[in-house]
Amino acid sequence: MSGSDQASRRQVRVAGARDKAPPSLQALAAEAESLKASDRRGFLKGLLAIGGAAATGQAVAVTAAGSLPPLVPPWTRSLGRGVVSKPYGEPSAYEKDVLRRTVPWLTAESISSISMTPLQNLKGLITPNGLVFERYHAGVPEIDPEQHRLMIHGLVERPLIFTMQALQRFPSVSDIKFIECPANGGMEWKGPQMAGLQFTHGMLSCCEWTGVRLSTLLAEVGVKPEGKWLLAEGADGAAMARSIPIEKALDDTLVVYAQNGEALRPEQGYPVRLLNPGWEGNTSVKWLRRIEVGNQPWQMREETSKYTDLMADGRARKFTFVQECNSVITSPCPERPWQEAGWYEIEGLAWSGRGRVKAVDISFDGGVSWLNAALKGMVMSKSLTRFGYRFKWPGGPLLLQSRALDETGYVQPTLRQLREQRGVNSIYHKNAIHTWRVEADGSVRNVQML
Amino acid sequence: MCRCFNSIAVSRVAGLVTLLVLLIAEGCSSDTASADSGSSTGQQQLFAAVATANTRDENPQRFDLGETATPAQIAGWDIDVRPDGLGLPEGEGSVEDGELLYDAKCASCHGTFGEGEGRWPKLAGGMGTLNQQRPDKTVGSYWPYASTLWDYIRRAMPFPAPQSLAVDEVYAITAYVLNLNDLVNADFILNRESFKAIEMPNKDGFFVDDRPDVSNPRCWNNCIDLATIKWLEVIAGITPSVHIKEGGTDARAYREEAEAGGSEVDAVGKSIHDSACKICHGNGVAGAPITGDRDDWRERSQQDKALIYQHALEGFQGESGAMPAKGGRAQLDDSAVKAAVDYMLEKSR
Repeated sequence: MSGSDQASRRQVRVAGARDKAPPSLQALAAEAESLKASDRRGFLKGLLAIGGAAATGQAVAVTAAGSLPPLVPPWTRSLGRGVVSKPYGEPSAYEKDVLRRTVPWLTAESISSISMTPLQNLKGLITPNGLVFERYHAGVPEIDPEQHRLMIHGLVERPLIFTMQALQRFPSVSDIKFIECPANGGMEWKGPQMAGLQFTHGMLSCCEWTGVRLSTLLAEVGVKPEGKWLLAEGADGAAMARSIPIEKALDDTLVVYAQNGEALRPEQGYPVRLLNPGWEGNTSVKWLRRIEVGNQPWQMREETSKYTDLMADGRARKFTFVQECNSVITSPCPERPWQEAGWYEIEGLAWSGRGRVKAVDISFDGGVSWLNAALKGMVMSKSLTRFGYRFKWPGGPLLLQSRALDETGYVQPTLRQLREQRGVNSIYHKNAIHTWRVEADGSVRNVQML
Repeated sequence: MCRCFNSIAVSRVAGLVTLLVLLIAEGCSSDTASADSGSSTGQQQLFAAVATANTRDENPQRFDLGETATPAQIAGWDIDVRPDGLGLPEGEGSVEDGELLYDAKCASCHGTFGEGEGRWPKLAGGMGTLNQQRPDKTVGSYWPYASTLWDYIRRAMPFPAPQSLAVDEVYAITAYVLNLNDLVNADFILNRESFKAIEMPNKDGFFVDDRPDVSNPRCWNNCIDLATIKWLEVIAGITPSVHIKEGGTDARAYREEAEAGGSEVDAVGKSIHDSACKICHGNGVAGAPITGDRDDWRERSQQDKALIYQHALEGFQGESGAMPAKGGRAQLDDSAVKAAVDYMLEKSR
């Protein structure tokens, strides 16, 4: 029996009755009573530290004891908070490290910057609203929904202005879709820079989005036959605007006012945003105030100067809307290392902007050989999909990779293939197979194999 | 059980009958029989109307929602400008005026010559660098259309005061940024007409998305030769890594952090509080001031501390409730009670 076990048992016995305490604690109690009052606080603290509580009686013994069996923890022997002590709930204090984080050197100013979702801490498919990654071009506007309007005009029969109440009277739809910044992983074209999953892949979230189909609103205004492109524009200080082809708008674009069951968060476009499922996040314009129908794209700053993919030859690919099939192992990862040899479930996320994830393979040897992993739970089009592989780790080093393919047959490429095709300066749309090197001690490092 | 709730709910919309029903039905007495029969006509009419609506408009082409946008309303918000010049308003601005405006409103971030301060965007230079190792994507070297510059300055610049520039100012600053890139002369005046002649050097430098551009076969065995692989290790020291702990980010590690850093009174005071005081002071039972609630404690904590101790030790009858001596835990040592009081005061400051 260990020393601490002995101390614990002793404490259980003395709890409640000083006269039943063993002689050693009785002596301590007598000593306590002889102390001057001013000394007592320090003495009490010392007493608690060694696990005894005789001097202050039963109440203290309960909390001073440990919480593990056979001891009964203090929260079982006391009362907790009542209802509406926190009218809007929040995570346990013990989850306070589960936060969005940014890379300070990435941008000039936090008002025009990006933060990442802590994928290493999340379960299932849905990203909690407070952890959805942020991307602002001019900060988060605080919009009064009563004062907000969505205007649709241009090449339409009936230019209309909608209040939020009017938008919510249209038939609603709810869809689970991922949203990803096309710059996700963009810091790593030239080499591995970030020692954490949150920074290599965290510009990625997945929510249930509720709103009205854009096609419903377009039917309301009546698009003229020559209307081929839409301009979607935000009400933020950047008046962020993107050109969207009408085919997408009539296919699955949503005008969204809720995420995961509640109103959009201000960070996500409150009171209303666009959602282009499977497309680069920038096209899902937040704080949506205006949609104009035209016959050609507008060539906005965010579709020419930015969000274009510079190739090695100096030319640039534009209107690179789709987020191609991608995947990453989320456990283990640098933030969630393994401890000792034994059974683990390797888990990860896969997604494709072209539809459903069809399969995910994993490799333990850096891509020399591959095994098929299992898709877990719901497999939905343009949603995150979780995969898993049960593995008894013998304790040695590994080169862990995941490789997803989608229902179009597209297989996630290697970084070498992408670099050979595009060079290293395109910033956006890096969806390469990612490598984690698991060390013999279970720690995990971000490495690249070229 | 009475049926009157149904009739009340439905007949609310049925006008005068409603009042009658509500008045009579209040006690659910047998009198409601006549009221029910009186409202049945209203119910039938209502249901008939709903049924008609359902069969006729189940899947309409339009929902007749939204208000017509007037030309004036559209003009106020329609700020976009296209490469063909559509959207450019009446007005003009010179390179000369633009230089003064740029120095005052733009240079602090973008640099006197468009070179960019810190990580703020560089606006000028970079010609011929797009296929180099470190490409400089500026207005002159990369942007395919001048309209984008005009549009972006109008909608989003200057960064701290978007949409604060007059139309002529937008023309002038656009002209000056073009001049910084040697695309127009120093005496150039930009307006809707002169705009048409501007050609950006990189206008043909873009091609429309043609992905997928790579094809990876789904190989199973001997897919690569590790001997030919080049290794790249992560660069140390540039990842924000406070949260990445040796041995993982388990809850225990963060609890220790959460509870460390408290003052000396915490350890003893908290344990006494949680076991003896929290039962009331955790939730405000019997009018007890809630630990951690500053408003509850503001007036109390301004009292002499000896008096607060005295109330805790000997009991106290307050306006909102009674504090029993030592919270009813007579076995508690005085110093233990005081430690709990100290803890509660500190948590409620």
